[in-house]
Amino acid sequence: MNDSEKLPSDIGGEHAGPVDTHDHGMRHWERQANAFRSVVQMTKLTCTDELRRAAEELGSRYKDMHYFEITTSAMRAVLLEKGAFTEPELQAKMAEIRARFDVPDEMESPVKKAAAKNAAVKAVAK
Amino acid sequence: MTNPTHDYYARSHHDHDHAHDHDDHQHPNPANEHDNGPPGEYEIMSRAMQELLEQKGIITAEQVARRMEQFDEEFPHRGAQIVARAWVDPAYKQRLLDDGRAACAEAGVMLEAERLIAVENTPEVHNVIVCTLCSCYPRSLLGMPPTWYKSRNYRSRVVFEPRAVLREFGTVLPDSVTVRVHDSNADMRYLVVPMRPAGTEGWSEERLAGLISRDMLVGVTAPKAP
Repeated sequence: MNDSEKLPSDIGGEHAGPVDTHDHGMRHWERQANAFRSVVQMTKLTCTDELRRAAEELGSRYKDMHYFEITTSAMRAVLLEKGAFTEPELQAKMAEIRARFDVPDEMESPVKKAAAKNAAVKAVAK
Repeated sequence: MTNPTHDYYARSHHDHDHAHDHDDHQHPNPANEHDNGPPGEYEIMSRAMQELLEQKGIITAEQVARRMEQFDEEFPHRGAQIVARAWVDPAYKQRLLDDGRAACAEAGVMLEAERLIAVENTPEVHNVIVCTLCSCYPRSLLGMPPTWYKSRNYRSRVVFEPRAVLREFGTVLPDSVTVRVHDSNADMRYLVVPMRPAGTEGWSEERLAGLISRDMLVGVTAPKAP
């Protein structure tokens, strides 16, 4: 198999730069995405192999995406295939969440309140 | 509206009221970076998928919140506990090497994958774990894989120049030591059983577990004598 036939995930053995050995942790949404994947797999709606196949189908987009962007795209593809929801349902729900975040008054936005609280606690901790 | 108790945006602060016996080695969940900006498209997509599945009764917000807690609080410490037990109990170590999944079940840990293969470091052989295709990792023993385990550079290189990669972690092995690299997959995960350091004779399992870090159980570092 030559390089052009390899799956985008098949990178073992390639030359690459030094390893950044610092663990950068996970953003909060990445922890949600990970826990969500784990819970969906517990329902047997999908499995690791199926999610990886969907990730591999990202093709040339794969190498430019961050890890949890890849896994989230794969989850979307698999759940649409399974009919867990439709694309219009997903788009509507995403619009609803965007609107929720854009609430102007911080008192009414749990998202912004949590973010402000985090920032305040971090400032105190310093 | 999602119950705020289980709202993943309403991030709880770790007040360190839970026992922290392992402060002398890496915290499994380092401070997360860039948490406070507006949500990106993938964040919105992930949350939307969760909420749709909640509405359809397939999952609950409580399940996801509980899973996040487990990944943060429980899973990261189990690998060290299992290995410490193997260090003090040779019969348990043998059972772990024979059938990792059964030995974990014996210790009350149910694994996600079908098989767990425990590989023992010796004065002659050093083992390292990778998943070249994605990020298969014994999460219920070690928590979430660190950033570098999922990185292109680690996945690409550790299979053909493990000694160079280990040097980047500060681990220098004599040429006489054979390095074995194990490539994980969805059905088969690995756990490195490091060598118990000299000078720990008579130590309790709990004290020994305090010597063991995640990186040692992946094989990129090794425990040092106290």
